Amino acid sequence: MLRKKVCLVGYGSTEYSRKSDRPLLSYYAEAMQNAMAQTGITKKEINGFSMVTQASPDYSPYVAEQLGLELDWVLNGDCGGAGAVCAIRRAADAIEAGYLDLAFIVAGNAFDKNVAHQRVLEYQRANYVDVYGYGGPNTLFALVQRRHMEEYGTTLEQIGKIAVSQRHNAGPNPQALLRAPMTIEDYLNSRLISDPIRLFDCVMPCSGGECVVVASEERAKQITDKPVYLVTDAEKIGFQASNMLPDKTVTGMSVVGQHLFSEMSRDNIDVLAIYDDYPIAVMMQLEDLGYCAKGQGGPFVDDHDLTFAGDFPVNTGGGEISVGQAGLAGGMLHVVEALRQLRGEAGERQVKAAETALVTGIGWLSYARNLNTTAALILERRS
Amino acid sequence: MAGKSLPVINPVDREYWAGAAKGELRLQRCRACGVLQFFPRAACTGCLSSDLEWVPVSGRGKVHTFSLCRVPRNRAFMDEVPICVAEVELEEGVRMVTRIVGDNRDQVTLGAPVSVVFMDTEDADIKLPVFELA
Repeated sequence: MLRKKVCLVGYGSTEYSRKSDRPLLSYYAEAMQNAMAQTGITKKEINGFSMVTQASPDYSPYVAEQLGLELDWVLNGDCGGAGAVCAIRRAADAIEAGYLDLAFIVAGNAFDKNVAHQRVLEYQRANYVDVYGYGGPNTLFALVQRRHMEEYGTTLEQIGKIAVSQRHNAGPNPQALLRAPMTIEDYLNSRLISDPIRLFDCVMPCSGGECVVVASEERAKQITDKPVYLVTDAEKIGFQASNMLPDKTVTGMSVVGQHLFSEMSRDNIDVLAIYDDYPIAVMMQLEDLGYCAKGQGGPFVDDHDLTFAGDFPVNTGGGEISVGQAGLAGGMLHVVEALRQLRGEAGERQVKAAETALVTGIGWLSYARNLNTTAALILERRS
Repeated sequence: MAGKSLPVINPVDREYWAGAAKGELRLQRCRACGVLQFFPRAACTGCLSSDLEWVPVSGRGKVHTFSLCRVPRNRAFMDEVPICVAEVELEEGVRMVTRIVGDNRDQVTLGAPVSVVFMDTEDADIKLPVFELA
């Protein structure tokens, strides 16, 4: 479905750090302050607020009290790595329904010992996976990647090209924690974590925060002369959840893509912000979104230049694997990078004539399947 | 230091672990619609009925995928690395996450036939279903 007059009007980011004892709430506050500075919105005007979180003390009303926010609409954003995209969808629903005209959506992570950052493993993960000595998401993605490599002949060089291209994209991004150039040999020689997943496949946990501001079109026009419109969006949750022999290499993004691209041609997308907890996840999403046939992600990657100056720019700021993953701000990072590109604020890594962007979010690794949550947005700059 | 991870057995999956302790692999089957499912749940993933029974299965299957894990989430498992974490497709038509054990676990391939064995844990009352190359 096409959206009616919902805009993304600004964003705020913080510095990322691998080691910091800053409280998590200070990251939320800083990301919001930066978004306020960009949009000129004062704190008193913020009446819609969503926290995207897996840390139970950080429910939206709790954070609202901590930060002194008086609100007419709150949302506790769930859906893991797809949470940022899903929260934007919910805010858009409320805006279209007329209940809301402005929402700040925030996510972040810190090594703040006072907050339970690490969710307790859910029952099926605890009783039926962790007992075997698995390596967390690294192993779960290894099980998927092995299948992709064996079924379709996908090579490590093809998967590694995604990581190498994104590292190139991170070069001019001051926010990225990993900016040193990386070669395919560096990737191949990085140590095995959970075969075939190696070190340079894995995101690096870090502290930091991101904020995105969503508004009605009417409000957007008062706030910015660079409104970015939400064109269309979709989600699939629990893909294959009742199938006891699920396909490891097909994700819910295959359904999301059908919804999105019935409204706009995939070939009209200028910038791709594809949730990248692992390069294989990027490849599978490109397949499921219909950029190539299932299993042809390897040859597709071979045939395209994924850098910001290339013919198919993917994760132009380096993505989570080069910037760092600040918890569920990892999903928000992709929205923010798309906004930077569409607003012409991406500096040295600016994609020329960037008018449309695709942003995906994925998360919540399901038992013996792949992704329990998949969601995506198409954004467009209209002047 | 915390030990190796063990299941927190609950009313939903007590029969599964009771079976494993006796050397029997059991799955849930829905009395209403016949669906066989794994992992154990409070309701049927086919029809949402709570009328579920436990049935013993062959314990034979084949490897769907695997990973040699060198960095376990719970570092108490470090003395066993590389750990061959695998998904096994049982003859009865369900897939389970498990571990392939045995000195020849470095020869695991996709499609390899395997059969269940039950591994001791740090709790004398709990045994883990794992698989060996057949």
